[in-house]
Amino acid sequence: MKKSSQKTTNSKSQFQLRTILETSRLLIESRDTDLILDNLLDITMGKMLVPRGAVLLYEPDQRAYKVTRVKGKATVQEGDQITLPWKSNQYQQNVIDPAAYDIPHPELFIGKNRGLFFNLKTSSHHLGYLYLGRKGDDGVLNDQEIEFVESLSIISAAAISNSMMFSEMRAVNRRLDRRVNELNTLFDLSKDFSMTVNPKEIAGTFKFALLAHLLVRKFFLLFLINDESPKIMSSSGLTRMPTAKERRDIFDLPKEILRVQPHQKKSIPFLNENDIAILVALQLQGDKIAVVGVSEKANHQPLSESNFNFLQSLGNLAVLSIQKTILLKEHIEKERLEKELVIAQNIQKGLYPGTIPKIPTLSVAAKNIPSQHVGGDYYDIVYSPDGNPIIAIADVTGKGFSAALLMANLQSMLHVLLPVPISLSEATGRINNLIFQNTPSDKFITFFWAKYFHQENRLRYINAGHNPPLLIRNGSDTAEQLDEGGMILGVMSTSTPYKETDVTLRTGDILVCYTDGVTECFDKNGVEYGEERLTETIMSVRDESPEEILDEIVDQVNRFSNNRLSDDLTLIVIKVT
Amino acid sequence: MTKTIQIEHQENRDVDILRIGGELNIHSAYILEQSILNLMEKGRYKYVVNFENIEKLASAGLGMFMARIEEIREANGDIKFSNLSKKVYHVFDLLDFPTLYDIFDEEEEAVSAFR
Repeated sequence: MKKSSQKTTNSKSQFQLRTILETSRLLIESRDTDLILDNLLDITMGKMLVPRGAVLLYEPDQRAYKVTRVKGKATVQEGDQITLPWKSNQYQQNVIDPAAYDIPHPELFIGKNRGLFFNLKTSSHHLGYLYLGRKGDDGVLNDQEIEFVESLSIISAAAISNSMMFSEMRAVNRRLDRRVNELNTLFDLSKDFSMTVNPKEIAGTFKFALLAHLLVRKFFLLFLINDESPKIMSSSGLTRMPTAKERRDIFDLPKEILRVQPHQKKSIPFLNENDIAILVALQLQGDKIAVVGVSEKANHQPLSESNFNFLQSLGNLAVLSIQKTILLKEHIEKERLEKELVIAQNIQKGLYPGTIPKIPTLSVAAKNIPSQHVGGDYYDIVYSPDGNPIIAIADVTGKGFSAALLMANLQSMLHVLLPVPISLSEATGRINNLIFQNTPSDKFITFFWAKYFHQENRLRYINAGHNPPLLIRNGSDTAEQLDEGGMILGVMSTSTPYKETDVTLRTGDILVCYTDGVTECFDKNGVEYGEERLTETIMSVRDESPEEILDEIVDQVNRFSNNRLSDDLTLIVIKVT
Repeated sequence: MTKTIQIEHQENRDVDILRIGGELNIHSAYILEQSILNLMEKGRYKYVVNFENIEKLASAGLGMFMARIEEIREANGDIKFSNLSKKVYHVFDLLDFPTLYDIFDEEEEAVSAFR
């Protein structure tokens, strides 16, 4: 009896040894935690005829145990997190029997819980427990069986630790691979971006790269150009485009990275309709210049920190490149415009008299300084076919191109009418009608012109709303104003004829014709230069030549306004010899 | 800029097989997208993209598939991939594409998966 029992025990322990040997070989080669856990539970429960078993793995971050495997009528489920009535480092023993330690048994199974916790530990780490309940016939495990499970637990713990390390390393490797892949994309795209000048192409490339790396289906790039309202530059998968108000509201939302909140989805329906989950602000030199919106990942994984990093890196790169192309385009456009302006300037210069024709008994100086490349001031000194010279000065409302076009128009009318044998008054009436018919209602021309009958020293003039030229008689301390004539040009068609007025000029008299750029300039306190200062300036240099008088006026005006002329400036200075 | 992609198109009943070769990058992706858009316009939404002859794959080039997949699936279609080399699969895997798309070893398997 004793012998046979001995034999049975021997063969049983031999069998258990073989199991341990085979299992350990299997486990050492395995890098699969699931397989190891399944094996551990299956073998121990199967061999011991235990109907209730579980594997609890310790999660240090949570200070709790995760029910990783459970078999039998359990009150817990796989994946549950539970705490045990003792601390993870309280017992170093290989086997913990709560009943023996007089601690409450954790509730794991329906009915009475009376089992053993086998410590799954390596030499340095506690990994968790293998839990085995009582045998099917309510019997407890004997010492030999406990020893067997202990051995298996020790081997399994080593294998679990190995496989966990292995999967950790694999995860690290994968993260590294992803990072390298993202960097490759950043590198490729930065090369691409620098080779294109098309902002749409950059935005499109940005879109594809983002969709691929973030695994999202919905995307938009909202871009602010020149402080206008933000515009959608690129998008994917949207059910509709956001309205102007939505675009502004969306643009204002994120400071950096924003998870869109329910109330924000409610106030901006576009975000809701398109499942936009994340808004990211992209900045250029500290200013928010673009906002990217994306939906959640299509595979329902959460967007990670590294996803956001990638989005921001690539986004900033794209925004910088887009901005660069816009600036480049503006620069090219500006240069082109500059060239055209120079051409226009040269054309306009050709419309002014190149050299002032000599006029008997008169000495004349004239000058035009446009505030921009081209301007709306006009002056002319030209002989009419009857041998008497015409002196004209005009100012078109406004500045720049529009004014210059009208000025050119006036110049050509004047030159066309010059050989026509009609009076100054009739010519003025015709010019007025043409201007009135051909120009927008907000464009006018102030106009002064005169014919000088040099044999009689008689000046016949018409002033159509222009700043009255100043006539300073030889020896006089006051200036006469040549202000007779009629209506400013272009306001209405000619009904009453323009009035001609004759003045006789005498030696030493000075006549100064000017545009409002001369008198309507301001000093730093906003004080106007004005007609009085102009008269004083002329008086102060009245004995000088017309050129010197003109230069002095320009000097004074420049000094007064601190070289900030805001309007075109034209002067004709005539002295009777 | 390199746009060196070759696309060979073959219809197999309701499935369109696109055998692509050369380089799939951000630029050639537009060309492939255009091929797919042309088919979508004809009301054809079932695609097998065979990567056998792809020598180089930039991950940004795969963004195009994300841009169109929703529309295609809503029309009861799909994009399935086949014949990915180890290198190509690695890129797919890093981007988690296998969680969203069916990938097959052989073109015929992908085609029959539509039936």
